[in-house]
Amino acid sequence: MSEFEESGIGEECGVFGCVAAGEWPTQLEVAQVLTLGLVALQHRGQESAGIVTSNGVNPPTYNTLKGMGLVNNAFPPEGLLKLRSGNLGIGHTRYSTTGISELQNCQPFVVDTLHGKIAVAHNGELVNAAALRRKVMRHGVGLSTSSDSELITQLLALTPPMEELDVPDWVARIKNLMHETPTSYSLLVMYTDVIYAVRDPYGNRPLSLGRLVPVSKLHTTVAGEGDTEGWVVSSESCSFQSIGAKYYREVMPGEIVQISKHGIKSLSIVPRPEGDLPAFCIFEYVYFARPDSIFEGQMVYTVRQRCGRQLAIEAPSDADVVSTVPESATPAALGYAQQSGLPYVEVLCKNRYVGRTFIQPNTRLRQLGVAKKFGALTDNFAGKRVVLVDDSIVRGNTISPIIKLLKEAGATEVHIRVASPPIRFPCYMGINIPTKEELIANRPEFKDIAGYIGATSVQYLSVEGLVSAVQGVTPSTQDKGETISLKPSRRVGHCTACLTGKYPVELEW
Amino acid sequence: MYKPLDLNKAQSFPRFPGHSTNKMTSPSEATTIPHVVKEEVIASGKWLKLEKTTYVDPFGNTRIWETTKRTTRQTGAADGVGIIALLKRTLHKDCVVMVKQFRPPMGCCTLEFPAGLIDQGESAETAALRELKEETGYKGEVVGVTPVTCLDPGLSNCTTQIVMVNINGDAMENTEPTQQLGDGEFVDVLLIPLDEFQKKIDDLMKKEKIIVDSKVYIYGMGMSQAFFKPNELRVLKQ
Repeated sequence: MSEFEESGIGEECGVFGCVAAGEWPTQLEVAQVLTLGLVALQHRGQESAGIVTSNGVNPPTYNTLKGMGLVNNAFPPEGLLKLRSGNLGIGHTRYSTTGISELQNCQPFVVDTLHGKIAVAHNGELVNAAALRRKVMRHGVGLSTSSDSELITQLLALTPPMEELDVPDWVARIKNLMHETPTSYSLLVMYTDVIYAVRDPYGNRPLSLGRLVPVSKLHTTVAGEGDTEGWVVSSESCSFQSIGAKYYREVMPGEIVQISKHGIKSLSIVPRPEGDLPAFCIFEYVYFARPDSIFEGQMVYTVRQRCGRQLAIEAPSDADVVSTVPESATPAALGYAQQSGLPYVEVLCKNRYVGRTFIQPNTRLRQLGVAKKFGALTDNFAGKRVVLVDDSIVRGNTISPIIKLLKEAGATEVHIRVASPPIRFPCYMGINIPTKEELIANRPEFKDIAGYIGATSVQYLSVEGLVSAVQGVTPSTQDKGETISLKPSRRVGHCTACLTGKYPVELEW
Repeated sequence: MYKPLDLNKAQSFPRFPGHSTNKMTSPSEATTIPHVVKEEVIASGKWLKLEKTTYVDPFGNTRIWETTKRTTRQTGAADGVGIIALLKRTLHKDCVVMVKQFRPPMGCCTLEFPAGLIDQGESAETAALRELKEETGYKGEVVGVTPVTCLDPGLSNCTTQIVMVNINGDAMENTEPTQQLGDGEFVDVLLIPLDEFQKKIDDLMKKEKIIVDSKVYIYGMGMSQAFFKPNELRVLKQ
């Protein structure tokens, strides 16, 4: 975690959408719901945020608000006022990878099509973007940015062969897009008075649905159909609590869901080629998602804890205390401690104001400065052998100063246990991983990684161990008689390309 | 031109010999403080009575006015209360609770704030919360009261106090409100958002044949002007 945070290997983006139920004009404050939903997804992107609302009539009026920085800076209250007449809307938080972060590159994009305007919000990266760009341009379409999301918007604007003159067939248009590109995208397409929620056939990026109910009925089971105040869709379910929505279900891989004031309707499920398993990004579980989000019926926190337990089984250590680098590896460290029987203590105190989003020292200073991001809680571990659990090591330059800090403060031994396998391969589905050469696992230093980073020992979770912890079939769960959360008949699959080099689809250049 | 005084139309503007017909006589040139000298009941019903009010005008002249009064006024300050109740729900627009009902004197439906007469021993606040609960089912909290104000002073002596109420729409008791109407009361409850209040009232009038109470319409107009008229000193023509 610490390394991801330091070097800014970011999750690309978060998407959020809302449709008010019942009569329109609605009394629901749609713009506020969208804002709060994006705040809950802030961990997925801090570069910029954008909202587009529609008044839902034909022809519709779309209102846009975009801004740089965190949501509360990007959306001043006066700006939100003009979105007040919205009955539905979509929003996006962005973490920029390539290209300049200009306001016009911020999503959602609004584009005029034959049948009127659509707004699009996209999370993910198209694996065949380059080839698809050439194909689209051969059709005569000009592209003004280098972003995938513009490409998606243009593909949706293309008229499918069987479409009638006046009646748009959005299912056909979206299916067309899905046949042109297999992964990865979680997509929200807003058109006049509906939102189409789309997930690529491999389900690589997450997308969940929620139901807005009155505050007094949020924590009861009595919220009936008549109580529905609106429908929401989000990259992660952690946003539902903050807006008073009940978790409804995930959008299935390949599914096109129509969200309107009347409710949720599944329009189609585009299948994967014969034999292909789904490929949900396993790093959502390992690092990116918020611990309180739910994927595939399981809470992210619980999965991380299982990884910690599995790690303790695979890589036990002769030590006195278990700890972690705050905060994302805490569940894994707790799992490790529970399984190994060693006490869990806190050894580091974090200064949250030093880091990528705030004070940014230069590289050399950062190497030294990382130590200043953390202070040592000496009393808790002086004279003891420490197991330090982290969720990932990518380059190794974040963890080394921390080990040095702990040793100087009195730790006799520092054993690093990593709750995920080493990353060896690049990701083309939206995670900005450093080049192959930079990855520590591909460098000669990896043979003596412990010596390289100054630790007493270093061990990683195996790929099989990670997959079994995620899929709920670890020996530890079976020992304790815990029920397996995933149905055995359900086809389950996760993308582990960055760990194994096996990509879910053929990469097209 | 001289027009004789018509006692049947006591409200008409008088002209006397010796006074120029074009000159406006201002009350500051008057000699007396106007006051009522006699009140005679002409007709009386269960709820209302008609009186002949004899009064002295600012120039010392005795005149007659036809007055209606309620028979139900208590010793408290006003005849009744009007309620401006704001329903507040998380992530929802604040809505004013309005009532729509058939009003026999108008011969059609009207859109009004919930209202009712103050019962014996009640304060304006107590009456307001009770009437709100009975007419709309909502349970509110008083946040302000106006002084005693007159309703239609050319017609009657009826007074009212407007009570400002907030309703916690998140509370369980206000999620499914049930009215407790009396015999002969047929009241529809409407929720109108504060946001673009006047526009929503105008839209409602286009859809249905209703007359809007003047207090309601003025409230809407006041908000439109206060919130959307830019506060600038227009010195130079733009």
